Amino acid sequence: MKKLLALFLAVILPALPGAAQAGTVTIKGSDTMVILGQRWAEEFMKKNPGTKLQVTGGGSGTGISALINGTTDICMSSRPIKDAETEKLRTRFNTTGTEIAVAKDGVTFYVSEKNPLNSLTMDQLKGIYLGDITNWKDVGGPDAPIVVYSRENSSGTYVFVKDNLLGGEDYVASAQTLPGTAAVVNAVSKEKNDIGYGGAAYAKGIKELKIKVGSEEVAPSADNIKSGKYPLSRDLYFYLRNKPSGEAKAFIDFVLSADGQQIVTKVGYFPVK
Amino acid sequence: MTKNLLFALLTVTSSAALAQAAASPHATSTPPPAESAPAPSTESTPTQADAPAAPSTDDRLTTAEGKLTALEEQYAETQGIVSALSKLKLSGYIQARYMYQEPDFDEADPTVKLSDGFSRFTVRRGRLKATYGGDTGQFLLQIEAIPSGVQLRDAEATLYIPGSGQNLSITLGQMKLPFGYEGPHSSSERELPERSRVVGAFLPGERDRGLKIAGKYRMLRAMAGVFDGNGINNTGFVGVDNDKEKDVVGRLGFDLQWIAGGVSGWTGTTLGKRNGPDPDLYRKAYKRNRIGADVQLYLDLLPLGGTAIKAEYIAGKTYQRNNVEQLGVPASGWWALLVQNIGVSNALALRYDSFDFENGLSATESNGTLGPNNAIGTLGLAAIHYFGETVKLTAAYELQTTATVENGTAEDPSDNLFTVQLQARF
Repeated sequence: MKKLLALFLAVILPALPGAAQAGTVTIKGSDTMVILGQRWAEEFMKKNPGTKLQVTGGGSGTGISALINGTTDICMSSRPIKDAETEKLRTRFNTTGTEIAVAKDGVTFYVSEKNPLNSLTMDQLKGIYLGDITNWKDVGGPDAPIVVYSRENSSGTYVFVKDNLLGGEDYVASAQTLPGTAAVVNAVSKEKNDIGYGGAAYAKGIKELKIKVGSEEVAPSADNIKSGKYPLSRDLYFYLRNKPSGEAKAFIDFVLSADGQQIVTKVGYFPVK
Repeated sequence: MTKNLLFALLTVTSSAALAQAAASPHATSTPPPAESAPAPSTESTPTQADAPAAPSTDDRLTTAEGKLTALEEQYAETQGIVSALSKLKLSGYIQARYMYQEPDFDEADPTVKLSDGFSRFTVRRGRLKATYGGDTGQFLLQIEAIPSGVQLRDAEATLYIPGSGQNLSITLGQMKLPFGYEGPHSSSERELPERSRVVGAFLPGERDRGLKIAGKYRMLRAMAGVFDGNGINNTGFVGVDNDKEKDVVGRLGFDLQWIAGGVSGWTGTTLGKRNGPDPDLYRKAYKRNRIGADVQLYLDLLPLGGTAIKAEYIAGKTYQRNNVEQLGVPASGWWALLVQNIGVSNALALRYDSFDFENGLSATESNGTLGPNNAIGTLGLAAIHYFGETVKLTAAYELQTTATVENGTAEDPSDNLFTVQLQARF
């Protein structure tokens, strides 16, 4: 019996060290949030030279997968975590994870500055992205085909639009997927018949469409997004496996501080508080 | 993207045309032969008038657009194939083990060996699963391939009820029984190498053939179905029903993320002849019933990592022991588990499980040997180390305690078990 117990302990004891991780905090996920994450990290590392933060994109889905696989400390996500993902987190880490809203955003639809339209209804946007509406003249624009741009399915913005605009239905098959909001903005800025979507912070060199709600045209402005009046307002999140501690906690405290939230505004998003 | 592609094609086409033009003997830089010059042989050198004209910009654009259309069609076709393939998921895992059980010596006379124990390598599980998930349903096939043979584990055809957002489904085939927590829970995700004794007895093989309806609404989870009732390992009835009656099995649960649980029920009958002191002359119908309750808590208490506390209780009549049904025998048992994650790569688990093979029967012994239906309690301790997301090493030590007769001579056997398991999954 003693030999058996000694054998057992000999096997398990070497496995136990390495619980705590120190030094580098990895932050991964949403492409919508990657610039914001980088600005936060740069500023935080200036103030805390002993801490190293690594910020990478890849999409909210990729970030959540990394959290589940244990390959990132903090996940950035532009959509709430799904039940199936929480289930995986529970199975592997016996935790339901910690969700922290760090900024606010409004998913914005972009068109070319040459496009005469200024606003569309949610139904019209849905029709365009489901493929039911294929010509701008059907929504009050010129007689020209609509070229639809979307994001990859690992994108949190892709999932947010699918869930909150398309009612869970699939995007039109002809929608062209681009890796990152910057790529969508770049494409839309060059062609007057294009439409794309992404975070409010990326809307440079293109026209932001307002959303018609009844007779009112609601712009993705700071006030409308913060109040929730803009129909596609959303929170941007950090997810962790457990309650934040150590360097990760210090970083999150900074993100939620006045200085951190000022960076949110500078980047083009909206403070969470 | 289309514009970029078009631009690229135009560039390539134009470059090729220019290159061709530059290389051509009829390039515009070459002066045309004088009309008065003697005409060369038409067979050896074509005249300028016979040479094709360089394509105009419109022609090149038309050609490029044609090629682009062809590429778009190819892309759409490829996208269709890739999209279909992305719904097909292959997964699987191997659980390879070394197991050691010490020999059992008589405490009164240590020279007398009561059992040999064992030291052996095994491949406990070798699973390969294919799943194809479409919008309207799901295909699932899982096989087990281990040294003792190949066995079908799951073969399910699932239909998602239209309009339910895949929250309501009907499954027909061979599938996991919708009962309790540990039974349906994947072996690849369990902390201890084996399920508890009570679950092994009441849900042998964890699967059966039948029809199941599963649904979820907000925090509620419900699953129920009708099944043959014999499971997949019942000796003499593997793959077939031993009666025409169906068993009804179901679980009603809830899930609030940090706490989840449910109650389960199973009612049915089985046909068989009981042996023993009062044997049956003919096959009789015996009740095959179970009730169960389970709860799981996930707590974020320590900075080390997540903490889980889980427990389950099952009681019922007619269970399987070594794949043979114990007809009409009432039994019950429970288990409780504490798991503490330590950082990203380690976890410790402690589980106690208890099973009473025959409710209401006190421990017995005969000729210095404990009775076969004496209750057994098992305390298991497991240390787990994850090597990335694919490989998991588990070392488990299980102390088994068999109920003894007060003032009896038979001892609790020394049958503690040590297991080292390496699991690789994809």
